[in-house]
Amino acid sequence: MPVVVAAVCPHPPVIVPELAFGAAPELDPLRAACLAAIDGLAAADSLVIVGSGPVGRRYDASAGGSFAAYGAPQVRVGDGEPVLPLSLLVGAWLVGQSKAAGVRRTSISVADDSPETCLALGREIAEGNDRIGLLVMGDGSARRSDHAPVHLHPRAEIFDATVAEALRSVDLDVLAALDPDLATVLQAAGRAPWQVLAGALRATTLTGNLTYGAAPYGVGYFVASFT
Amino acid sequence: MLRLGTRSFGPGEFAVMAIVNRTPDSFFDGGATFAEEAALSAIDQAVADGADLVDIGGVKAGYGEAVDETEELRRTVDFVASVRDRHPELLISVDTYRSGVARRVGAAGANLINDTWSGHDPDIAAAAAESGAGLICSHVGGLKPRTDPHRMAYDDVVADVIRTTTALAERAIAAGVRPDGIVIDPTHDFGKNTLHSLEVTRRIDELAATGWPVLVAMSNKDFLGETLDLPSGRRGPATLAAVSIAAWLGARVFRVHDIAGTRQALDLIAVLRKTATPAYTRRSLV
Repeated sequence: MPVVVAAVCPHPPVIVPELAFGAAPELDPLRAACLAAIDGLAAADSLVIVGSGPVGRRYDASAGGSFAAYGAPQVRVGDGEPVLPLSLLVGAWLVGQSKAAGVRRTSISVADDSPETCLALGREIAEGNDRIGLLVMGDGSARRSDHAPVHLHPRAEIFDATVAEALRSVDLDVLAALDPDLATVLQAAGRAPWQVLAGALRATTLTGNLTYGAAPYGVGYFVASFT
Repeated sequence: MLRLGTRSFGPGEFAVMAIVNRTPDSFFDGGATFAEEAALSAIDQAVADGADLVDIGGVKAGYGEAVDETEELRRTVDFVASVRDRHPELLISVDTYRSGVARRVGAAGANLINDTWSGHDPDIAAAAAESGAGLICSHVGGLKPRTDPHRMAYDDVVADVIRTTTALAERAIAAGVRPDGIVIDPTHDFGKNTLHSLEVTRRIDELAATGWPVLVAMSNKDFLGETLDLPSGRRGPATLAAVSIAAWLGARVFRVHDIAGTRQALDLIAVLRKTATPAYTRRSLV
């Protein structure tokens, strides 16, 4: 069975209220959009969470993660040693609050691999026998504004707009063609995971809905669901 | 003992470092001392207020206008020489990450090189050593000069600060820098989120326990602004509180904008720690 439902969410640490303190309400709309998209994954038999990481690896549902490295050791997911990279940590944290919390799941980190490798991983994910719900964690450019964490890049806005439109219209060719070198320059952590999504959705007829697209702190955040 | 120029600072003695930027765009002063005359009078005032050192910078720390080495030299070298002439006893530090600048300002009379970007230029220690200047060893979490932190993560930020700064200190000695001219700086806000900078502040004692003199540069920084929701012009009291805590926990050099206020706070702490005596005591004694 293929991927029957999918969602895309961003993974900034600031999404965690225990890290944001008084800034937390600023991200209420983003959290709500993420949870609504992830609630939709509850319809699947199993969940696959994909996000960027230093190396490509698979983690089972019990894999631990902690926000200690960002200053909130009290916020944890899973059991045992914290091993999840940020993208999968935020993914697990969001899933844990959603209606999909009880669905069995696997997490997969993708390194900064070639588009071909990412597309192949997506196709492989979709080959399983389960009715899969796919959660793809990815951020747009961190160079969207003068006050962005990494200074404004003139191509950041158009890059993110291209991604947003591709997610909305499920234009898998556009996602597949995102240039890894440009994404690196623009510090867009979502490039490889979005290309996994493109590979996984190839055999489906899911339609897209972009429910959030903004850069409130100069980093592009997108939420999309595919049903 | 920390020895810089003609001065020595033993454990328990506090040194106050004034900030004078030869930049048109620094975050706090907004370019107030870009012009030479304004910069010289700011230094006169800092000396009058009790500064032991002055830290002269020719390049804004944050992102901004590109400043090449020629322009940085133009902003700093002759100015250092003028300050040296005007205030023979004042210790002069220069905030630079370029060994070429460190070498020239050292020759012009600088006593200390403030390498805020953590050894980005591997020759900077040797450059400081050439003129006998001391060196500030910083922690920026691997950031490149003039970039801002994006999602910095540390298993233990204090351990990372200690590991990085003490390794730079050892490297500086190997490059010929006087061991008694080396200072370590956790470098608040650089490569750190606010929670990281707060954690470093709480645990300054662990840095002091390395035995290296610890410098703190917290004055009016963003971690104070975020913590207390204050714009940059209103962080003076928070700066003094942070300075006082850091001093109590063992920091020895304080890079600040408000020299007179800092000097007063540190003078009190020195008495509380019994490294100094009260100026006078008549109350209830006569």
